[in-house]
Parts: sequence; C-alpha cells; structure tokens
Amino acid sequence: MGYAAAQYYSGDHTFDGENKNEASVSLTSGKNIIVGPCIGNTLHYKHYFNNHWSVDGGANLQYTKQLYGFKAKGEYHLKIKSFHMFASAEYMFNNYHRFNTTENVGNMSLRFERGYWDITLGGSFINYNMMGSHYTEPVTLTFGAHASLRPRTNHWNVGLLFRNYDDFYYENWNINWGVDFYYRFNPTWKFFGEFNVRPAGSMSQLASKYETTGKVGIIYRWK
Amino acid sequence: MAALALVAANISFTSCEKVSPTGVLIGNTSVDDRVKQSMVNISFFEMAWDKMLPDTVQEYSFLVGSDSHITADPGRLEEMLEIGIEYGDLFYCHLGDLADTKAEYYSNTERAIQEATDKWMEKYLVPYVNEDGEPIVDTTSYIDPRTQNIYTLDKPSIFPSALPFYPVVGNHDITHNGWALYCRLFKSSFYEFTVRVICENDTSYDRFIFLDSANGTLGNYQIDEIENGFFQRDQKEIRNTFTFTHTNIFRPSLNEFASTYCREELYYILDKLADWNTTIAFWGHVHAWDDRWFGGVHHITMPSMNFVDHPNGGDNLLVRVTVKRNGDAIVEPVGLHSKERSKEELSENGYLF
Repeated sequence: MGYAAAQYYSGDHTFDGENKNEASVSLTSGKNIIVGPCIGNTLHYKHYFNNHWSVDGGANLQYTKQLYGFKAKGEYHLKIKSFHMFASAEYMFNNYHRFNTTENVGNMSLRFERGYWDITLGGSFINYNMMGSHYTEPVTLTFGAHASLRPRTNHWNVGLLFRNYDDFYYENWNINWGVDFYYRFNPTWKFFGEFNVRPAGSMSQLASKYETTGKVGIIYRWK
Repeated sequence: MAALALVAANISFTSCEKVSPTGVLIGNTSVDDRVKQSMVNISFFEMAWDKMLPDTVQEYSFLVGSDSHITADPGRLEEMLEIGIEYGDLFYCHLGDLADTKAEYYSNTERAIQEATDKWMEKYLVPYVNEDGEPIVDTTSYIDPRTQNIYTLDKPSIFPSALPFYPVVGNHDITHNGWALYCRLFKSSFYEFTVRVICENDTSYDRFIFLDSANGTLGNYQIDEIENGFFQRDQKEIRNTFTFTHTNIFRPSLNEFASTYCREELYYILDKLADWNTTIAFWGHVHAWDDRWFGGVHHITMPSMNFVDHPNGGDNLLVRVTVKRNGDAIVEPVGLHSKERSKEELSENGYLF
C-alpha cells in the first residue's frame, strides 16, 4: 500500500509509505565534568501504523556514567499546508545508578517541519527520587530548533541543532548545541552522527561546558 | 528566525548601565580558573576564614542573604550588616550576585562592608593593651572581651576588613570582568571553615562550605578537590554541615526561568550533600523562596534582597539560623525594609554611579 506522503516527503523518522519498522543502534562517546570520559549505546525501535500514527521505544546504556534508561513514545503526524506537524507524548525512566537517583519524565511536544528546518515546543514533567525523597519539578519548557544544509529528501545532509533536550534527558535552561549529519545509502540503510556540546548554564553562566559527546549510528528500515 | 535576530541585535546594541551586552551572553571566567586562583590565594595569603570568629561557642546565629545586585545604592546590604551587628549574629553569609559588576558598584559594596566593619569592631573589639595603655602584642592587636580571643589584623585577610562576611560568587559577579573585582575583595570562591562548639560535655565542630557554582557547574577542578577530600582533610568531628552556593537546585514555580545544573551534576550534588550529612543547604540565583527537605537535607532557596525585585522590602529577604547548644538549627525569616535612595542623596553621600 503506497502513500502519497512518500511522493513529496521523506524526512527523518517519518513513514516512507512502505517500511513500517525502523531500528537504530548508536554509540556515544565523550567527556563530562562529573564522570570524565564516557561511553555508551542507545537502541531504538519504531513502528509506523500508517502515515499518521507511530510508536517508538528506546533504551539507553551509558556504561561509564552508570546511567540506564528506557522510553516509550507515541506520535501523531499531520500535514498542514507546507508544514508537517508531529504531536508526541513520551514517558522516560532513567536510573542514575552512580548517584542513587531515579528519574521519571513525561513530555508532550509539537514539532513543525519543513524541508530545511524544524522547531519543537513542548513541556516536560520531571520527577526524581533519591533516598526515599521525591521531587517533581514545575513544568519545564521544551524547545529545539534544527536547520539543515540540504533538503530532507537529499541522500546526505549536515545540520545545526539548538535545544534543551537529547534522546534521553530533558533539561531546564541548559541549552545544547551541535552539528549532526546523515548519509542514506538506500531506502533501508542510513548512517547518522552528531556532535553535541552541553554547556553548564545559560546566558551569563556560559563560560564552562559540562559535556561534549559524539554519536554515530545506523538505522535500518524494513516492511 | 527574524525574532531571534531581533533579540540578538537588541542585546548587541542596547547600552545599559546595569547589564553588559556581552556579559548577558558570556561569563568572563570559567569556574576552573576561579577555583585554581582561589587555591593559590588561600595558600599565598595564608587565609583562615575563622580568624574573626571566637575559638569556641556554645550557641550562635548567622544571617544569610542572597542576590543583592548592588548598583549605586548598597542600602540593602548595609541594612543586613546593621541587623547582624545589632542582634549579635556571629557572621554573615551571602549567596552571590553581590553586585552588578561594574567597578563603581563594587566600590559601593566595599564601602558598605567597611562601614559595617567599623561598627562591628566598635561593638566587639578593644585594643589589646596593658593597664598603662601600651600594646601588649603590637598596635594591630585587638581583644574580644566576650571570648578573650586576641585578633591580629596586620595580615591581608579575605576581606578588606575584619568583618566576618562570607560570600560566594554568582553569575552576575563574573560578567564585566567582575571576577577581578570580586577576587580583590574576597580572594576566593571556594573555601570552608569550622566553628568549634561546646556540646553537652564535649566539643565538636560545625562546618561551613562555600562552593563556586556561578557558571551553573562546579567544574572539573572543584569536583576533583571535593572528591580528593578537601572538606575532610582535617579529620574533625563534624556536628552540623551548612553549604552555601549560588546556582539553585529547586525551581519554586514554572515561571522561574533561571537555569540550574545539568541533570547528572544536579544528582551528583544532591547525593554529595546527603553524603556530607548536610544540615542546611542554601541556594540563591532564582530570586524566589523555597523551603523543602530532600534526601535528609533541609534546602533553603533564598529570595533576592535587591531593590528591583522588592522595592518595598519584605519580611523574609534574609534568614537567621540559630544553632542551639544541642546542635538544632532553627531557621527564622528576617525582613529588610529600606527604600532605595534618590540619585541626589546617593551622590551627596559619595556613592558612585
């Protein structure tokens, strides 16, 4: 069954009209001020029910950080004129084993995409637990922006990112920035990577970085 | 994108006396640089933060304030220092963003501290002389009749004066090359001292830890010092631990946008405070009151004490902690109510703009 969407759009993590399953594995390595050098893996699986609905599950295994987490996400995709809108709801659990802390995160976001850029706006609900104490932060604004050198339909791309979240965390006003890229070998295999700088604070606090990481991975799609 | 460009242009081209256009975006020094310099100063000046405190105490109190953002009028800091002298607090702690960084504002800050020092010395110290009025040790020695402690004020100390005023550095203290101004007055952004206390039938110590989080992180070097036992090196038996730093952990409500620590560091700090068996952890930065227990630690996030946020003052802009003989730490709010003086009045009295 083909979808008209595939004729004009083939963005990241969007149903291409044929392959309903998508899995990825990536390797992350870098350094932060708390644990020093760090290395870990992330795993993702996504299933597209149709051009509108999808579900996504992921696992995060950061060995040197002793940080382990998983997440589940549901997403609704709608085309509005020349925009693609994605509404998502996500639950994430993290165990910061080194610091005896567990974290439960809920997030609801809207993402708007066009060929060369996308922006994300939403809210995060972050709860953490340590030594029998619990704290739920007030709702935190989620925001992100991404711009690409080439249109999304291109078989390769390089982009700039600016956001207060990553695959397995949501921050307050600690704003990440970095560069990402991909190379699509064919409709089923894609290589991707990212260089991410995580400053310690924002605005006038910006003189010390907290973390820098590099990530490379591969995505496979099948019917 | 147009909106972002407009904001950037506005920041770049707006001239404001209180806010550096570049300083809004980038702090001038990293936390690693400041802590390294602090360690050098600690060694070079042979700094002892408990120099102006009695050797031993039974019951004592200290005042805590935050985010004074002093500009031309240091009135709220003057009021805080006056309250402490009048009440008899043992010392003061300040959680950073002491002054909006401009040399003139630091001059006003220094003046407030110096004037309070004179009053403090007048209240507590007398020259250490014999019956004939001749110096027993030298002309710079004073004695505290309360404790019979003798103080020698001939060496450069952490303060421009002898006042026991213990600040930490905030993010506004490091813009406009502010660290140079801050460092000249206070020498260090990372330090600790202990107060020897007489318990029921024994003596013990209360520890006071001051951490540099002005960049929203403790940084590599400070964390290394902590992990290498900077606060355990004297092997003292600690009864209470109190910590003071600028950047907050807890956001009192959703409309407070001040940044906190990155996730992992936030949990590292909370875990470390629990590990230290901290009695009270004090936080500033967010300009809002928050009082909660977490991980067995009492966390108090302080409101700002400046004129902009509280032109008419408030009843809880400071807190006083009274440490009882049995070790209990009792927290009570203390109000600040002075009004900002006019430019004419400040100018007549020699404050700098």
